[in-house]
Amino acid sequence: MDTFSEDEVVRRCRAGDEEAFRELVDHYKDLVFAFLAQTGLASDRAEDLAQEVFLRVHRGLPYFRGEARLSTWIYRIVANVFAQEVSKPRLPVHSLDSGETPVDSRPDLGRPDRRFSDLELRERLEKAIRQLPVQYRLLIAGHYLKGVSYEDLADMFNLPLGTVKTQLYRAKRQLRHLLETSLG
Amino acid sequence: MFCDEVLDQLEAIAAGDVTPDGRIAHHLATCRDCAGALADAQQVEAALAKRVAPPTPAQMTARVLTRVRRQRWRAEQYLDLGFNVTIGAVLAVIAGSVWLLLNRTGLAVVGNGVVSLFSAGVTTIAARVGPSLPLYAGAGALLAGALAVWWWAEHASASNWR
Repeated sequence: MDTFSEDEVVRRCRAGDEEAFRELVDHYKDLVFAFLAQTGLASDRAEDLAQEVFLRVHRGLPYFRGEARLSTWIYRIVANVFAQEVSKPRLPVHSLDSGETPVDSRPDLGRPDRRFSDLELRERLEKAIRQLPVQYRLLIAGHYLKGVSYEDLADMFNLPLGTVKTQLYRAKRQLRHLLETSLG
Repeated sequence: MFCDEVLDQLEAIAAGDVTPDGRIAHHLATCRDCAGALADAQQVEAALAKRVAPPTPAQMTARVLTRVRRQRWRAEQYLDLGFNVTIGAVLAVIAGSVWLLLNRTGLAVVGNGVVSLFSAGVTTIAARVGPSLPLYAGAGALLAGALAVWWWAEHASASNWR
């Protein structure tokens, strides 16, 4: 049985209880790490960023007003930390403000007999995910994690539920397009 | 044109969020391009669902707590530094103000006399106390020893009650 109580842990953390913060980290570390790792980051980089997330959680807890759920607030920090990471010059960034995909959203479907082998697909999938814009990477990573719902993603990006689904479909369409062009 | 409509819904169909109605189902059954694209979308969907995150590093909680402590220590260092700098600045301002006051009001001359008197007093006291310094040092050491024994006894007593 999970005895983790958000309100209680937050209250204790604010009172300076280090054991409470340890409980918080233990409770969320798998989700935060998996979230970051599934965006296509290397494992060691994902851990660095996960640590950074928890440092920001620790710094921000005194100002956490409880208007959103603790998990939602942590997901937003994950998104911010990840966005900062990929906005560094060494990694490609695409703007999502327009909501449009930066590449042609109409894939070349002229060769319907072409299919990917499982292993090849997995490798190319990871590579293609790394080429997606920040928000698409986070959506793809979050959507397939156990414990993260459409509603969580909507709260995380402060978007309507329908928009989250639409963006997720666009992300997958772009992913399919990247996979097809990388094979072509 | 109908291919466009179908292609727009492929990801939703592949995810199982949308069930193709009669018209779309018929198109998918007859259009080779759209059927191939749907198969690709389904393959991508399945591959995404099968992805597994690497296991969380075992020492992650400990590393986070270490970084939190380091962060707190740094914050305290900055606080201490800020406090010390502030105190130093306040003392400098006070000293400057006193110096200005003495010079502007002509009290500096009197001040010099006071400094001389104070110096003479300190020298006289040092000359008298100097010969007895070993005695005072011994007494001070005895007092410190007694206080240490008292502190130890208190500490040991408190530990026994835990």
